[in-house]
Amino acid sequence: MASRAVTGGRLHRAEEVWGWLLASPYLLFALAFFVVPFVWALLLVFTEWDLISPQRQMVGLANFVEALMSPRVRAAFWTPFKFMAVFLPAVLVAAMAIALLVHSLGRWAGVVAVGFFMPYLASGVAMALVVQGILSYNSPLSDAFFWLMGDVPDWFGVPALAVVVIALMMAWKFSGYYALIFLAGLQSIPKELYEAAEIDGAGSWTSFWRITVPMLYPALYSVMVLAVGLMFGVFTEPYMLTGGGPDLATHTWHLEIYYQAFSSLRAGYASAIAILNALSVFVVLTVVRRAMEWWGRANGWT
Amino acid sequence: MAVLLAGIGVGSSAPSAAAVEATFWSAPNPTQEVFWREMAQAFMRERPDIRIDVRAMVESPSSEATILTAIAGGTAPAGSENIFIGFGAQLYESGALVPLDTLPGWDQIIRARGMEEAIEGWRFPDGHFYILPIYSNAMLFGWRIDVLRELGYAEPPRTYSEVFAVGQRLRQARPRSFLMARAELLDPTWWQRWFDFFMLYYAASQGAPFVVGQDVTADREAAVGVFRFYQELNRRNLILTRTSTDPFPTGLSIWADIGPWTFPDWKERFPEMRLGETFALSPPPVPDGYPAGEPIRTFADAKGLVLYAQAPKEQRDAVWEFIRWVFTRPESDLRWLEATSLPPVRGDLATSPVFSGYLRQHPELVPYAEALPYAVPPFASHRVTDVQTALGEAGLVPAVRGTKTPEQAWEDARAAMETVLRR
Repeated sequence: MASRAVTGGRLHRAEEVWGWLLASPYLLFALAFFVVPFVWALLLVFTEWDLISPQRQMVGLANFVEALMSPRVRAAFWTPFKFMAVFLPAVLVAAMAIALLVHSLGRWAGVVAVGFFMPYLASGVAMALVVQGILSYNSPLSDAFFWLMGDVPDWFGVPALAVVVIALMMAWKFSGYYALIFLAGLQSIPKELYEAAEIDGAGSWTSFWRITVPMLYPALYSVMVLAVGLMFGVFTEPYMLTGGGPDLATHTWHLEIYYQAFSSLRAGYASAIAILNALSVFVVLTVVRRAMEWWGRANGWT
Repeated sequence: MAVLLAGIGVGSSAPSAAAVEATFWSAPNPTQEVFWREMAQAFMRERPDIRIDVRAMVESPSSEATILTAIAGGTAPAGSENIFIGFGAQLYESGALVPLDTLPGWDQIIRARGMEEAIEGWRFPDGHFYILPIYSNAMLFGWRIDVLRELGYAEPPRTYSEVFAVGQRLRQARPRSFLMARAELLDPTWWQRWFDFFMLYYAASQGAPFVVGQDVTADREAAVGVFRFYQELNRRNLILTRTSTDPFPTGLSIWADIGPWTFPDWKERFPEMRLGETFALSPPPVPDGYPAGEPIRTFADAKGLVLYAQAPKEQRDAVWEFIRWVFTRPESDLRWLEATSLPPVRGDLATSPVFSGYLRQHPELVPYAEALPYAVPPFASHRVTDVQTALGEAGLVPAVRGTKTPEQAWEDARAAMETVLRR
């Protein structure tokens, strides 16, 4: 018995080494691109510095005070919630619809799934240019609006419309990606559950809400966390289409960080905003996770 | 052995063992990169003791960010181009640049390019010059002269009132056309102000300095007048502030700010755009009562080159030798013009026989060459981005929207800009 235990201990240590070894690429990546920059940012927030000047002026908490008072930062705080109000329902419905469609196809499911996944791979800049072309005042779509209504919507001039356009654009980009997560969830639901429900007289609508949706809890959980987190990191679409306007309606955290760091060259102030951004993501994601876990428990997931 | 190798030519094109190697970054624009590579090749044939490695700077997320990152990481090149005076001021504040006028041959370059007057706009607060301007796009406005003729005008309007009159007649004749299509009038992105506010401001104020040190020194009457002009255009529904595709060449609008970089694109996509037939170029419109015959100033989108203090001295000296070689030869500026279509900063661009052949073949560049002496580069402040963002957010954008009177917009913008400058 004693020799077995020793062997077992050696095996355990060997497994540990292998485990660390296999995880090391990710750990090194995270160390280089997340931990070190985060610590560096934590040091920078107390300075007024342009990244290159030999002098770094220590300013204490002044950067945080300025950020909290800034109308631009306050606008950036609210923008993710405005995007979320449009993006979440749109992307959840679209992704679920795609997943159900692909799941029902059988033989050609893979090809169709890749087709829906393509927008996720496309460059955000290219997509923004396409959307800009489609919605421009002298596009065929605008001509149609003009013919039907006598005017063309001011897509990027009205704050609410600009938010809707950008949120829907992102829903287009991400619905294929989230659909793959839903698809994996759908494939793991035992068919027996649907058969039993059918015997009990449940229709397809009831089966969807009483079986499919609750059984997709792990997938929904992942998608919700990814989608909500995404709203706090939006950059390319408003950068290309609205510049954060009109009236800061689409001004995001990352636009403000980019502007302060790379246009105004205020590394300390930009870092302070980045820390506030991280805090807001952390708080909101904690709330979302708790809510999802509560919903999961209510549906029998522990 | 050496004799044998020399005899068969081995090593004849290789750098000498003692050659100094230095890196020079060109703008992330293929035509500029081609120019600098050609120049470096020609220079190195004459100076085998110097190796100039030309690389295009990366533009991710911006060329300015790339330069900053390189300086912060200790990997700055010996020199680079693509520096506008505002970013130069930011680098100057951080002690990152070399004062070029302390280097041998500076005066020789200034004389050779006839830049004695133009260079004054590039002087820094300590009296030195840290940027050698290479090109200057004296920004002009394009007018669809074919449409103007249809409307009964022989030439572009000169004053604000004349512009309104053209607009009114245009809307009557073509209800779906606009005088100007510029969605950027409502975009507070700082550099957009160069092409709407500053073009008109420098014209109206006859080039009055906008910012000096920490003070907004702008001509109030001219600035308020520009706000009022744009507000009135919008109120009369003469400008389209929504996104549109190629509005000027397609005739959706008949008036647009045009830089010389536009013409290669038009040549490819809109060959029907020909000077005198479909479009004309003119300086910015001026307030009513502007003295007749007085030249009209405009904004100059101008950039130059710098040497970085961080690079070893021998490398900086090597690049400076290269720069001297390039810019004391007028044919270099001709080659620059041919390669990039960007007017070099030369006092004799419109008059020298060196350039006359090229300008005859490209008459659309002649108005730019003629406007060079009246073009004002961006103001030199390390807070340029914040100042111009404040100008847009608190001033021009609300003025265009009509949510503030021109006077209120100016007072708010001025206060916001001074707050930024004194931070």
